[in-house]
Amino acid sequence: MGRLLPLLLAAPVAAGLVYAGLASLGLAGTGGRGWTLVHWARTLGDPGVWRGFGWTLWIAGASTALATGIAVLLAVAFRGGSRRDHLARLLTLAPLPIPHLVAGVSGVLILGQSGVLARLGYALGWVASPADMPPLVADPWGIGLILSLIWKEVPFLALVAFSVLASRGAQLEEAARTLGARPFATFRWITWPVLWRGILPAVVAVFAFVAGSWELPSLLAPSDPLALSLQILERQTDPSLARRGEAFVLTLLSLGLALFAVLLHETLRARWAVLER
Amino acid sequence: MARPLLLLTAGLAMTLSAACQKDDAAPSGTAVGGNAAVWAEHPWDDIVAAAQGTEVRWRMWRGDPSINAFIEGWVAPRLLETYGIILRTVDAQGPEIVNQLVVEREARARGFADLVWINGETFHQLMEEGLLQGPWAHRIPHAALLDSTSTTLLEDFERPIEGWESPWGRVQFAMIYDTLRTPSPPRTVAELGAWIQANPGRFTHDQAFSGVTFLKGLMYALAGGHEPFQGGFSEEAYAAGTEPVWQWLEVHTPLFWRRGTVYPASVAELHRLFANQEVDFSFSNNENEVTTKVRQGILPPSARATVLRDATIANAHYVGIPFNAQNPAGAMVVANFLLSPEAQLEKQRPEVWGDGTVLGIDRLAPRWRDAFIELEEDPSARAIPRDTLDLYGRPEIAPEYHIRILEDWRRRVRGGRGG
Repeated sequence: MGRLLPLLLAAPVAAGLVYAGLASLGLAGTGGRGWTLVHWARTLGDPGVWRGFGWTLWIAGASTALATGIAVLLAVAFRGGSRRDHLARLLTLAPLPIPHLVAGVSGVLILGQSGVLARLGYALGWVASPADMPPLVADPWGIGLILSLIWKEVPFLALVAFSVLASRGAQLEEAARTLGARPFATFRWITWPVLWRGILPAVVAVFAFVAGSWELPSLLAPSDPLALSLQILERQTDPSLARRGEAFVLTLLSLGLALFAVLLHETLRARWAVLER
Repeated sequence: MARPLLLLTAGLAMTLSAACQKDDAAPSGTAVGGNAAVWAEHPWDDIVAAAQGTEVRWRMWRGDPSINAFIEGWVAPRLLETYGIILRTVDAQGPEIVNQLVVEREARARGFADLVWINGETFHQLMEEGLLQGPWAHRIPHAALLDSTSTTLLEDFERPIEGWESPWGRVQFAMIYDTLRTPSPPRTVAELGAWIQANPGRFTHDQAFSGVTFLKGLMYALAGGHEPFQGGFSEEAYAAGTEPVWQWLEVHTPLFWRRGTVYPASVAELHRLFANQEVDFSFSNNENEVTTKVRQGILPPSARATVLRDATIANAHYVGIPFNAQNPAGAMVVANFLLSPEAQLEKQRPEVWGDGTVLGIDRLAPRWRDAFIELEEDPSARAIPRDTLDLYGRPEIAPEYHIRILEDWRRRVRGGRGG
């Protein structure tokens, strides 16, 4: 039974791959009319798809990088056993149970041009009217989206970072200090390498999740370029059935992106394993 | 709205569960079985008897609390009391309904829904894919009360319904404005254009159904009315009709909200922009929606509806029975109840839903006729007077226009700025 469990978990993914593959070739799904490459040709030949792809990469890359940086800073600053550190860790984790959809709606209410920030800016005399506030929702660079994603992902990454520091490295650091290493050297040669290798799988997971996530982009992303997940939904619910196949092409593309991040991580890890020997 | 991945997973789960299920499994306890077209040949009393004590599952749009309250708080208890039918509603909109039925067919799974709320391109797609059963709708008793003079009812986006779906409501495209902000709103597309020139940044439309209806209205207004586009889709008529639309948009979109670089995803989002005073107009496919939305507190009390006289499209909405429905007899009884004068009257009340009746008032018993006339003549019960709506309302055209104009708008206008 224990050996079957991984298979059971992987089976839906495998079946999904097969189904998406068939549907992208017109062999299954709504609007499927038999073997065709037209869905692939139309999707890959659409400049809007590639702009959306690039935009999604930017959003996932920027928000993951910034969230990781903040999580590392927090973990290093508040790793101790003092009451202050305990409280800080608790506060850091507060957004963890908030659903992404709620985070998105809050983002609209706070960052929108009729939102709290714009009204505050107006009240403080920064802008002549709330609408003069630079748009942070559906803005071309996705600033509001990135901010909301960071707010949601920092707690998860910090949780991993806290536990990495708590479980690993303490003894090594102790040894380094005993041997006379200064605090910065201890951080540079012990704490940082242990920390970043420990949280890298979580960072990859966050990148893959953000690249494929739908909730926050649906509320905070612009209509052009259109995030990859929104392009999938748009084709999946298009009034024309002929475009359903394209949704599956994009799903495979999106899966490929996540797979690429995972493989990159595995390759790097294998290299370090060799170097460390 | 569901996530694409969720849809995919659901599809897989269904495929797997179907694989584990015998094809000849016995019908479940609540199922009556049979086919609506066959049932339609039976005496009505037999159908009612067969529906007694069953469950009817209705896939419908559940995005409006007023509509949900009418269905769950008013329709469901009466169905239970009169026919012993348990009504269960499940959320799904047009494209999701089509996808769901295709997945069920592929998986050879038992049908989940007995009734679906549809219109326009969804009806077209379900017919093309053979996903509805029928004809049945012309045989239910209250079908005799329908306003048979109305092509709006009997043709859905120009496709004759011919008993494959049953009309149950009628609406007209309207523009919502705020009397405090815009005491005299534009009444035509030309006036709207001038208004946008004078008030840059204060107008936009959504990217979903209402937005496309607005674009089709623009086409009517700028290319000689609806007549050039009647009688099925024509590539030449489409090209000639949309050319002035793209030109109009090229001139005006730089003066739209956020310079036309961003468009709200849905009409709900447009309502929010309007209520927050980011824009000065919203749209609705139901001329009376403004009344219910004001009552819900979503729109300000000073919000009113009007029509752009050369760009207001009237259409109807319907219920259909999916090809794999387990309980077509129950679904027919529900469809018939929705057409009863009492249900139609209740539904049209502004404090309930404000959805227009599909019944021919002259065909009703005097007490119902009087009640409808009273409702029609009550100025507080109508956002826009009936005769104004009838005077300017234009019919829908073939769904290909809807599909193409959306596709080309996305390519030329939304994504046409070279990013």
